Amino acid sequence: MIHARELTKHYPDLRHGRLVALDAISFDAAPGQIFGLLGPNGAGKTTALRILSTVLKPTSGTVTINGFDVVRQPAEVRRQIGFMSANTAVYDRMTAWEMVEHFGRLHGLAKEPLAERMRLIFDRLKMNEIRDLLGAKMSTGMKQKVSVARAIVHDPPVLIFDEATAGLDVLVARALLRTVAELRDQGKCILFSTHIMREAEKLCDRIAILHRGRILAEGTLGELRDRHREHDLEELFFRLISEHDERQETLGRESRTAGPLP
Amino acid sequence: MNWSNVRLILAREIRDQLRDRRTMFMIFIVPILTYPFLGMIGLGISQVAQQKPTRILVLGESHLPESPALIEGDRFAARLFRQPSMAKLLELHRGNQDSRSAVDEGSGNKAGPRRGSGAAPSRSAGFTETSARSAVEAGTYDAALIFPPDFGRRIDACRAAAQRRDQPPQVPKPKIIYTTAVERSQLACDRLRIVLERWSDEVARSFLAAAGAPEWSMTAVDVEAIDLAGETGYRGAAMWSKILPVLLILWSLVGAFYPAVDLCAGEKERGTLETLLSCPAARSEIVLGKLVTIMLFSSLTAVLNLLSVAATGPMMFSQLPGFGPPPALSPLWLGLALLPASALFSALSLALAAFARSTKEGQYYLMPLMAVTIPLAVLPAAGGLELTLGNSLIPVTGLVLLLRAALEGNYWQVVQFAVPVLAVTSGACVLAIRWAVEQFHSEAVLFREGERLEVRLWLHHLREDRGPTPTPAGAVFCGIVILMIHFFMSLHWAPPTDFGRFAVTVAVSQLVVILTPALLMTVVLTRSPRQTLLLQKPPWLALPAAVLLAIALHPAAHVLQKAVMHLYPLSDAMQEALAGLESLFAHVPWWQIVLVVALAPAICEELAFRGFIFTGMRNAGSPWRAIVVSAAFFGLTHGILQQALIACLIGVLLGWLAWRTNSLFPGMVFHLVHNALGVLVGRLPPWLETEWPSLSWLVRPAEGGGVAFAWPLVLAGIGIGLAILAFLARLAPSRLGPRETVLFGT
Repeated sequence: MIHARELTKHYPDLRHGRLVALDAISFDAAPGQIFGLLGPNGAGKTTALRILSTVLKPTSGTVTINGFDVVRQPAEVRRQIGFMSANTAVYDRMTAWEMVEHFGRLHGLAKEPLAERMRLIFDRLKMNEIRDLLGAKMSTGMKQKVSVARAIVHDPPVLIFDEATAGLDVLVARALLRTVAELRDQGKCILFSTHIMREAEKLCDRIAILHRGRILAEGTLGELRDRHREHDLEELFFRLISEHDERQETLGRESRTAGPLP
Repeated sequence: MNWSNVRLILAREIRDQLRDRRTMFMIFIVPILTYPFLGMIGLGISQVAQQKPTRILVLGESHLPESPALIEGDRFAARLFRQPSMAKLLELHRGNQDSRSAVDEGSGNKAGPRRGSGAAPSRSAGFTETSARSAVEAGTYDAALIFPPDFGRRIDACRAAAQRRDQPPQVPKPKIIYTTAVERSQLACDRLRIVLERWSDEVARSFLAAAGAPEWSMTAVDVEAIDLAGETGYRGAAMWSKILPVLLILWSLVGAFYPAVDLCAGEKERGTLETLLSCPAARSEIVLGKLVTIMLFSSLTAVLNLLSVAATGPMMFSQLPGFGPPPALSPLWLGLALLPASALFSALSLALAAFARSTKEGQYYLMPLMAVTIPLAVLPAAGGLELTLGNSLIPVTGLVLLLRAALEGNYWQVVQFAVPVLAVTSGACVLAIRWAVEQFHSEAVLFREGERLEVRLWLHHLREDRGPTPTPAGAVFCGIVILMIHFFMSLHWAPPTDFGRFAVTVAVSQLVVILTPALLMTVVLTRSPRQTLLLQKPPWLALPAAVLLAIALHPAAHVLQKAVMHLYPLSDAMQEALAGLESLFAHVPWWQIVLVVALAPAICEELAFRGFIFTGMRNAGSPWRAIVVSAAFFGLTHGILQQALIACLIGVLLGWLAWRTNSLFPGMVFHLVHNALGVLVGRLPPWLETEWPSLSWLVRPAEGGGVAFAWPLVLAGIGIGLAILAFLARLAPSRLGPRETVLFGT
């Protein structure tokens, strides 16, 4: 469903000349599966998801979603995905109903079927009481519900959640994770980025640990535990990242002290 | 283009704006309240300013003639005012000039009234002219009127001379002392002048009476002015035609800017832009939806402001001469002009707002936009600028002038210049819309994040991370540095008096102003001077082709130059200066002229503009953008508008040559031949006359100076030039691509 190959992204950067946000990462995500991108802040998760949602273009590498290339067929890709960005962004001067309806119409849904689907979604996400509330007056949890509704209103086969539970209280976060699990059970292919180990442990079928633009490890939770002989995901995560940083530091030191060849 | 998406985005944006209190305030409340409020304040202020009496110190009253009386009692004579009651507006204070001053000259206010001390006439103690000056400067009096000794006696003597038909004696001039630095003093002077002019008329009448001439001889020729505007319904059009276009332009700009900032920078700030970009609407559909929304609000703001002015203006200004109701067809003309004006400003505002990271940053961009627009809109309204073909080609100014002509009922002018004005405005609109769409495609713009500016870090980055060729920012910086140095050095340049000084001026200008910044930046900011300055071997046929191209296109360039001079005629002073310059070349050997006027610029300007700037701009991607930007900088360094326009066009050709040949040398050769021909062609007609008399019809001396090429020669030159361009276009395009290509090889 999602196939990323050698995905690379560079940004121009004043401090470093260029910043390598993604360094040739590859992964696959299948339908009925939650693929977790686990990484600390600045690991490149948001960049990867922005490329998948066609908002950014990769410097090199390819990504196909449901058979469509994100660079060559961005319009088709956008019809296949529901994207929920890192911030709980909703329009301040639109009600919950208007907002979801607007994006449903942009996805080409006709008025009546759209209204029917929205009623279902609003019931399922328990959003009827905020139906006519303006975005500016919503709490973070309400905004997150609206964002989920907006992302799934056109019933896309692929859903991309970027730090979906960031800033949510435990109750709202749990409800959201339950919704994501239900969507997986409906056969959706879900890409879920997070830096919270417990979420990844509970929710994700496959996990890729991303750090400084590189995938350090990838597999099911069981595979990762077996491969690295570490039961606790948080410990595993910490160890992989520390080892990687130490390796990088050693390489940097060696290259600085080596000097020119005689 | 999916129009359904555009419609959906448009509907959402309109609804969003209509729910925004700030937008509603700007669009509906400001126009409704502003003009009546401003009118009330303006009328109030003018009433206060007009009615407040001004204090006049009169010295030498005893020197006035007995008749006609200027001063009656404690006031200037009431008959000398338009309305007798206005006599109290000139408050009279007598100073005794004859006695020695009892007042210290540095503080002449000791004896006089202080500000606001009441309107009662007073007799001030002895003043001299010096102490009167001090008193006016100190603000004790608003003006002083001084009659010299012997003034009255001389007037009487003049009258007697008139009676005897003798030569009159000279009359010494009375003086008004005032200061334009103080508005009240200026007002006092104006009032005094009116009174003294009327009194002077009375004196003249008394002379005529003494000479036995009838009094009507003072107004023997009475001119009747017939105002056709009153008959044709265009009374007051002159004032409205200046005010309404400016209001239309300014309010369509302001009305576009605030919604644009909210729709783009605001959307970035709120984080909803990312969501919108990942939905199926294409970027062009998003831009169009937003653009139409902004245009709608821009138009609405302008219309409501104009309606408010139309409702309150005539009432406020009805008392002023020349101010009638606006012409009946004003709504039609304003409505027609509103569409291009709001389209232009909406696209510009959208592009600027897309660049801003936040609404706060977006609002900072309003001032530069206003700073560019206001002179273009206000200067033609201020008068002195007529609707000509040249002026009609200036964006905004052309539109304002066209609208002015329509409001004044000059329909023939409208018919003549509507096409160029609309073509230029539409062109500017299309460019602005393309810019806005580009902004929405640029990741660097859409996801621009604030980066702390550290000079040390930046300098380190410039040095350590420099590429083989300059960055686009470096190229623009180089262009700006050259323009700045050029501007400041031009302030100190004096017109050369001989060819030697001229040669030194050109050398300094080329070496210091143009070449040095480009070379310094090449060394400091790039790793490959050869690649940066395009010092690469061109295809061998490109050099002779460039020589032929310059020769073939020279007659056409000459015609183009004449056309530009016709569109934008040089001022008399400039013509004189250029003629003086040409006279310096008269007796100089041709090779010296070529060295100074052709070779030096061909080397220096090509290294800077087609070398550093063009190569740097190439790293932004589009070769045409690089060609246009380098040509624009090249044109701007030529100072005079007429020369700049032609240089800009030649710069496009030179940029194209650099792009196609990937080398600076063909451009240098073209530049050298073009400039040399420009100076030496004046020597061609006499030479042809003596050497090739049968060909002398091809180049003749022109009537207004210079030379004129025969049209067959011009057309043949264009044909040959196009053939050479086609040949050069078949050469492999430049191998030098964008900077990323060089850096990462992708």
